[in-house]
Amino acid sequence: MKIVGITACPTGIAHTYITREKLMEAARGRGHECKVETQGSIGTENELTAKDIREADVVILAVDVKISGEERFKGKPLVKVPTETVMQNASGLVEVVERKLKSAGKI
Amino acid sequence: MNNITTIKKHVMTGVSFMIPLVVGSGLCMAIGVILGGPNIKEAEGAFLNFVYNVGSRGLGIVVPVICAAIAYSIADKPGIAPALIVGYIAGDIKAGFLGGIAGGFFVGYFVNWLKKVLRNVPAALKGLVPILLIPLTATFVCTIVMRYVIGVPIAGFMDILTTFLTNMQGGSKFLFGVILGGFTGTDFGGPINKTASLVANGFMVDGICEPEAVKLLGCMIPPMGIIAAYLFGKKKFTMAEREAVKACLPMGICMITECVIPLAMNDLWRVVLSSVVGCGIAGGISMVMGIQAYVPHGGWFIIPTMNKPLAYVMCMAIGALIMGALLAALKKPLPEGGEGVEPDMGIDESSFGKISSSLEDIDIMNL
Repeated sequence: MKIVGITACPTGIAHTYITREKLMEAARGRGHECKVETQGSIGTENELTAKDIREADVVILAVDVKISGEERFKGKPLVKVPTETVMQNASGLVEVVERKLKSAGKI
Repeated sequence: MNNITTIKKHVMTGVSFMIPLVVGSGLCMAIGVILGGPNIKEAEGAFLNFVYNVGSRGLGIVVPVICAAIAYSIADKPGIAPALIVGYIAGDIKAGFLGGIAGGFFVGYFVNWLKKVLRNVPAALKGLVPILLIPLTATFVCTIVMRYVIGVPIAGFMDILTTFLTNMQGGSKFLFGVILGGFTGTDFGGPINKTASLVANGFMVDGICEPEAVKLLGCMIPPMGIIAAYLFGKKKFTMAEREAVKACLPMGICMITECVIPLAMNDLWRVVLSSVVGCGIAGGISMVMGIQAYVPHGGWFIIPTMNKPLAYVMCMAIGALIMGALLAALKKPLPEGGEGVEPDMGIDESSFGKISSSLEDIDIMNL
């Protein structure tokens, strides 16, 4: 399936990017396509396009702070977790998301 | 997300808006003082006086900004304007940083409530809601509440706290430093560190700058402590760990304490314990010596802006040496010829298996 996501931590210089790496690694490790936008203290990078979002099966937001542009995901299956969850067990998270989507018949 | 996570998210949004502001203005102020001398405040018309004033203007709007950012996090755009004013009032009545945070929450929830109440106004008035009704009502009500209701006990509390901290003597000063330093050094940029930082930043905004130095120690010591431990006991580090140690120097200098996490993940309690002890002792000494810091982030580059840079460097060295010695002593020697069999630096899935139970609570919206 295709996953899109956003990461954002309070300081926006380290955890935001580590979380992005971990999430992409975990998703790819389980054979998914994945694109992750970061909203660090520098601003938004790797911005998700409308096409990315339209094609995505699920949105994973790993955020500790308010993010901008959440309305882009209106109506999409969406999971919101603190960055900590991804830091600790990204592939566990992806696995749970996978399973829940499957049992809801979305993939 | 549950309630506590949501509340934390609002406060952290406030902090993330505040940090660049405090760093920018704190540094300008410090540059003014370093280059222009301690009397730069009075030297009107001088260029460095201007630089100093830029900084002090910036610090003057920290409370309104954190207040506005919290309200923004809760109520989106309509929260910002009333909360800026409420934050200003909080500053005026000396409710300071704490008042700003409380005010932000009040404005945020009040504006959300207004949005709900005003949802059913006649179509002709719809346009008036965001442009007139919300700004006017929220500003009017929230500033009054800040001035006469929630601000009063907070201002009183701040007054007691400030008196207590400024009158603190030897032993209790040391203890305060140990506790704050220990907490800051617990989780290397994680939630406990952020909470302790919030306390220190709050004091700094309200003009008490010793805790800020303790906090900076707690953020800067761990990477250096790891390096010290490596120097003391090279043989106890696996190849993968040695790679991680190398990253600690540049990142540690820039105060990105997160570089310690890969090492802590491998050997959790030994790294955390030695870090807490090192940072705690250094924090205690720093409080007793009265080191003050005026800039909340920026690593080694901001050390010259402190009131006693040399003493700070000394505290940092003491903390790093203690942490290094302790970690080197606690760390288990590698198994015989075990260089190659060590697990890689990634997170060991099996040890986190327990956490996945909480993953089951994860809620997928719009499913």
